Amino acid sequence: MTVGDFTSLLIWLPIGAAIVIWILPLSRYATGSLAVLVSLAEVGIWIEQAARFDFSHGGLQFSQKATWINDLHVSYHVGEFPFSLWFVGLTVICMAACTAYGFWVGRDRPRAYFGLMLFLTGAIVGVFVAQDLLLFYAFFEAMLIPLYILVGVWGGPGRLGATVKFVIYTMAGSLLMLAALIAYGVHVGTFDMLSGPVSSNRWIFLGFMLAFAIKSPLFPFHGWLPDAYRQAPPEVSAVLSGVVAKAGLYGMLRIAIPFFPDPASYYRTAVMALGALALVYGSLLAFRASDMRGVVAYSSFAQSGLIAIGLFSGTTLGFDGAVLQIVAHGFVSTALFLIAGTVERRTTTDQFALLGGMARGRPALATLLLTTGVISLAVPGSAAFAGEFLILAGAYHRAWWWAAIGAGAIVLAAMYMLRVISAVLHEARGSTVADEALDLRPGELALIVPLVATLLVLSAWPAGITHHTGTAIVQTSANVTP
Amino acid sequence: MTAGAWLCLFSPLAGALAITLAGTRISRTAAAWISTLSVFVAFGGAVWSFFGLRSHGSEHGSLTTAWTWLESGGLKIGLTLLVDPLSTMMMLIVSGVGGLIVLYSVGYMHDDPEERRYFAYMSLFVFSMLLLVEGGNLLLLLVGWGLVGLSSYLLIGFWHERPTAVAAAKKAFVMNALGDATMALAFFVLIAHTNSLSFGTNFHVHMSSTATNLVALGLLGGAAAKSAQIPLHTWLPDAMEGPTPVSALIHAATMVTAGVYLIARTHPLFEQARTVELVAAGMGALTLLVAGLVALVQVDIKRVIAYSTMSQIGYMFLGAGVGAYANGMFHLMTHAFFKALLFMAAGVAIHALSGEQDIRKMRGIGQSLPWTKWAFLIGSLALVGIPPFSGFFSKDSIIAAALHAHWYGVILGIVGLVGAFLTGLYTFRLYFIVFGPGEARAEHDGEGPWTMLLPVGVLSLLAIVGGWIQFAPFWTPVTHWLEPAARTLVVAEPTNTQEAIASILAVALGLAGIAVAYLMYAKRSVSVPTRPKLQRALEHKLYFDEAYDALFFRPAAGLARLLRDEWETPIFIGETTKIGDDALWVARGVRRIQTGLLRTYVLFLGTGMAVLAIVLLVVK
Repeated sequence: MTVGDFTSLLIWLPIGAAIVIWILPLSRYATGSLAVLVSLAEVGIWIEQAARFDFSHGGLQFSQKATWINDLHVSYHVGEFPFSLWFVGLTVICMAACTAYGFWVGRDRPRAYFGLMLFLTGAIVGVFVAQDLLLFYAFFEAMLIPLYILVGVWGGPGRLGATVKFVIYTMAGSLLMLAALIAYGVHVGTFDMLSGPVSSNRWIFLGFMLAFAIKSPLFPFHGWLPDAYRQAPPEVSAVLSGVVAKAGLYGMLRIAIPFFPDPASYYRTAVMALGALALVYGSLLAFRASDMRGVVAYSSFAQSGLIAIGLFSGTTLGFDGAVLQIVAHGFVSTALFLIAGTVERRTTTDQFALLGGMARGRPALATLLLTTGVISLAVPGSAAFAGEFLILAGAYHRAWWWAAIGAGAIVLAAMYMLRVISAVLHEARGSTVADEALDLRPGELALIVPLVATLLVLSAWPAGITHHTGTAIVQTSANVTP
Repeated sequence: MTAGAWLCLFSPLAGALAITLAGTRISRTAAAWISTLSVFVAFGGAVWSFFGLRSHGSEHGSLTTAWTWLESGGLKIGLTLLVDPLSTMMMLIVSGVGGLIVLYSVGYMHDDPEERRYFAYMSLFVFSMLLLVEGGNLLLLLVGWGLVGLSSYLLIGFWHERPTAVAAAKKAFVMNALGDATMALAFFVLIAHTNSLSFGTNFHVHMSSTATNLVALGLLGGAAAKSAQIPLHTWLPDAMEGPTPVSALIHAATMVTAGVYLIARTHPLFEQARTVELVAAGMGALTLLVAGLVALVQVDIKRVIAYSTMSQIGYMFLGAGVGAYANGMFHLMTHAFFKALLFMAAGVAIHALSGEQDIRKMRGIGQSLPWTKWAFLIGSLALVGIPPFSGFFSKDSIIAAALHAHWYGVILGIVGLVGAFLTGLYTFRLYFIVFGPGEARAEHDGEGPWTMLLPVGVLSLLAIVGGWIQFAPFWTPVTHWLEPAARTLVVAEPTNTQEAIASILAVALGLAGIAVAYLMYAKRSVSVPTRPKLQRALEHKLYFDEAYDALFFRPAAGLARLLRDEWETPIFIGETTKIGDDALWVARGVRRIQTGLLRTYVLFLGTGMAVLAIVLLVVK
């Protein structure tokens, strides 16, 4: 028995540390160091878990269960399926990079800031490991509160409007989900996600789906996204698109599809169509966006659509591809937002019209942006390519046009990502790019290089994830075709 | 044997990584030599594989898997290499010619401040190209396919301060992404029918003829984009924005010929979809003709050679399309020699003139560069196909194979013969203008360092003797070597008479082309005919760029702008902002009930209870 057995530790260690930070009057430096150390400890615990995970077993592992509200059959039940392991890994690694970024740039009000980042880490991990619906809901909400504050306090000039919009959208989704899950739990008599039976109630399904469609987001529920991603501090945008948006997709994978197989297949075409709309619409808008964060924001929107297509294709290929793509895109967009942050720190802007020519004399920045950019546009051989390939191969089983739309969107992705690369790095020097603007510093490299290195490892061995997704448990209940 | 293949594949990757990670800790020259060494080691691996395969008997080749790259459901795709006659031939060409060109770059790029980046990209390209040709299943081939596209993008845009170079690089990448997409779609069809992407699938057992045709069309889309065949060719002339050795390596000798390799590699599938295969042949014929015409009016030395490359790849498509895979591959090989030679000789001249590429301003450079003049002449004669230069042996047998293949073959063969005349004309127009008498002089002494001259010398030799290894129908070791991997179709095995007719006519027409060029551009006894309209159309490359811009780019960009301005901004950003404002307004109103006065709260409490009581009474 080692620390890795206690999945709960991954949740409560950062939350405990957050409370410590809020209570103790530590110095700025001590606060930041503590936060970074705790987030690195999370990564360590996760690595230990991954190394000992029994993929051949496939079922729930490292689980803890305790009675919570006996009368309603609500329990504190956490544990990891193989796919949860990848979600958790994505979370702890990206959160470590983002927390460290906050330390590196020296966010003001450090105790509040780092406490919130740690609390957020614990809450997101909680979402991915909770095996009880009410517990899942509690973490889902707990995850949003620090985000509201992080965007609203540390964001850009338009942060208030962005926050209000974000709150309204997510609250609407959350309330619907709460209603849906109470209706489900009361109806079947338990909230446990392992023993809960399947339901064929379409209304309950729609309640869940709407919440997840807002969070991911799918078309047309993305109104909160452009402002939030542009106004939040870069590392919070990174968390939002890299990790938090994935909670919506996780909800589809873990709840909406396996618990509601009949409604899921009834609404299959509708959800896939919304996904395809998000994919095409997001790609086109990414192509027209005039700022780096805008492109990354809309491309994240497009990717959510693509992943939803894979999840709802109801095929093994689609599922496995979606899990891989969730992880790959999580790392890609985290890295891209952090790089956007480093560019903004040097030039005060991320508007393409004011940038350019940054490659000359800044090889580290150029190499990292280029590498992440081409992985993002799914160059064959990259992890993102492997994910998209499987998703579309799965979607092809449904109907050829899903695959054709997806392939077309990949060409658009090439167009908008190359535009980012050349607008920032190439051609004449932009008016805000000073000669003395430095290349990435060692501190920045220490955050971004591990993300890019993870992507390269995934590109060398995507089967590491696709063959170890353990989505079989989801599929047996969802009656999918091969 | 397989160890050689792995060495061949990973040596250039190791070189690229070493240069990237070392950064400025190593000198620029060191980076150049690391890259050169890595590619020559790859050549060693290729030679090792070649002799290994020979001693094992070259019947089937062998597969070797390092690890499972992608696995899901029943689909399992390994990081698998295939060592067979076809892949070893390509390995030898890619790493051999590649090594010479990288060596040439050591001299050519010597003064560039970003040499390290250049050599890292070059090694990355060679790795990608080797992955493409060694990949043991279709997905791995597509991975190599995409990665050569990426390295081509990086190298075309190497001088990234130039907006034209950046635009050309993006254009090349996007057009190739289009080809990648059609190939991926073809693979989806294959997976749906056979649940496999192996080369060895029995396509005719598992698939309907419609499905087979679709798959073949998808593959052809990829092949046309990569090999710059009409209508997906417009990126290649622009790609000449890259440094000249890049044009020699990627846009002449190796990457652009990948389409021919693809057809040869997947020929069992194309034979099941014979119509599509003939479309490939027709596409080749059309391209060789159009590119030959456009080459007649271009004034940029590299663009003329680029159009000539398109035209020659047209011949290869023609050959592979009618079923003469070995002839296509043989021409691919000789073309790699003489086209790389032409580019590198042109590079010496450009280098000597500090970057001048306009042939009208290069006139006379031959006087300062006598050796280069000879090298260029050898390359030109090989290109036109004059015996005993290498192009003669490879090109004429393609025309002969076409002549044998039914009535459509005769048409294709005639197009090939017209192309031979055009080849003579545009090649020697270039030669007589640039190397004829004139005022241009080299700006420095000598023709360049040995690193540049040695590769030019070796390739000059290969451009002469490289074709001697096959002289159909008497002496056919190449065809024989490739037989286990890509056997020539019976319909494309010409008789001796057809071989003779093709050779005599092609050589005669090529000589006629040279003669006309001599009269017009060297002796100037015949004036160049002027047809302003036709000439303008050719100078505008037949308006393909303009048409694509109007048909695809502008509508897509317009739609995107429309969506942003009419939909996203007012509805999704504007309206939801209004929701936020409304919420704030409501909140401001609600705030007023927080009076802090006990009596107000008691009033609310009482009212609430009263309402509840009424509701309960009514409901009961």
